[in-house]
Amino acid sequence: MNKKVISLVLGGMCLVLVYGICVQIKTINNTNSSYSTSSTVNELRDEVLRYKERYDNRAEELEKAEAELEKVRESTTGNNEELTQLEEQIKQGNKMLGLTEVTGEGVIVTLNDNTTTATSSVLDISTLVVHDTDVLSVINELKNAGAEAISINDQRLVTTTAISCDGNVISINGQKVGAPFEIKAIGLPEQLSALERPGGYLSVLKEYGIEAELEKSNNITIPKYNGAINFKYAQNK
Amino acid sequence: MVYAGILLGCILGAILGINAPVISYTYSSYLAIAIIAALDSVFGGISSVLKKNFDLKIFASGFFCNAILSILLTYLGEKLNVDIYLAAIVVFVGRMFTNLTIIRRYYVDKWSNKIQNRQKQS
Repeated sequence: MNKKVISLVLGGMCLVLVYGICVQIKTINNTNSSYSTSSTVNELRDEVLRYKERYDNRAEELEKAEAELEKVRESTTGNNEELTQLEEQIKQGNKMLGLTEVTGEGVIVTLNDNTTTATSSVLDISTLVVHDTDVLSVINELKNAGAEAISINDQRLVTTTAISCDGNVISINGQKVGAPFEIKAIGLPEQLSALERPGGYLSVLKEYGIEAELEKSNNITIPKYNGAINFKYAQNK
Repeated sequence: MVYAGILLGCILGAILGINAPVISYTYSSYLAIAIIAALDSVFGGISSVLKKNFDLKIFASGFFCNAILSILLTYLGEKLNVDIYLAAIVVFVGRMFTNLTIIRRYYVDKWSNKIQNRQKQS
């Protein structure tokens, strides 16, 4: 047997082998979970991954389309005084609805589960975690103090936003959000920081051992709402 | 020559594999067993080259038969809810160790012969 042929064959074999190993490692890393032999579990996992990819693609498309819309609007309203004013009105409305990214001064409130106390030393471990009601109360106080735009872990609060318990995470805008919660609020920082006052909600949370911190900031960026607001039943009068 | 071919194949495979698309998770257990079969074939190939009885027909048919049988066993095991693929892995890894022993013996013999020759010369 020719040595050349042998090395060619073994080299080709190794090529296939290393290629397979690389693909396998990539697949396992991509699913980032333990090995499972059950085919139904694997198929479900596949489906979730596929839908996630499809969702990401659609979100990207939407972003492109919105940018294009913005361009078209600008080009058509460029020369007309009246249309420019209307465009300004639309922008104003979108800002209030939470459909645009906004920046300004305000506060950042961080809530995190109690990680220092041992779970065996307390009677009820649910006092050690941040609940949806805690977040809701903080949001309520911030709104009361005149917050103009609020986001929780980059989920913008809009008129249709619901905050509810979803197992060990909370659901905001239908998206699962877990601790630590970073609540950003734009408004007058001095007013918003009244949340920290003695006897206020943050001090109540701290008493329970939850890590609650408030920080003033001059430059807060709050992202826009990613979903669509559709009114089906409410009609103009 | 043979080792240079293997090294080149490994490097090319790694380059191709890094840029390869991700396969469906359902088939990853089949790919894993095929990888073990390929690894077994490579070790078998090297040891047969050293024993100077390398035959391309036997090598190729051995790889394909082993891979297909082990993949079928994995499929059957999935249907029967028995981990039969473990049996295939045990056999393949056992053979890998046997072949490694052959390769090791060959090189250790060669090396000790060399040392003996040098001692005789001096």
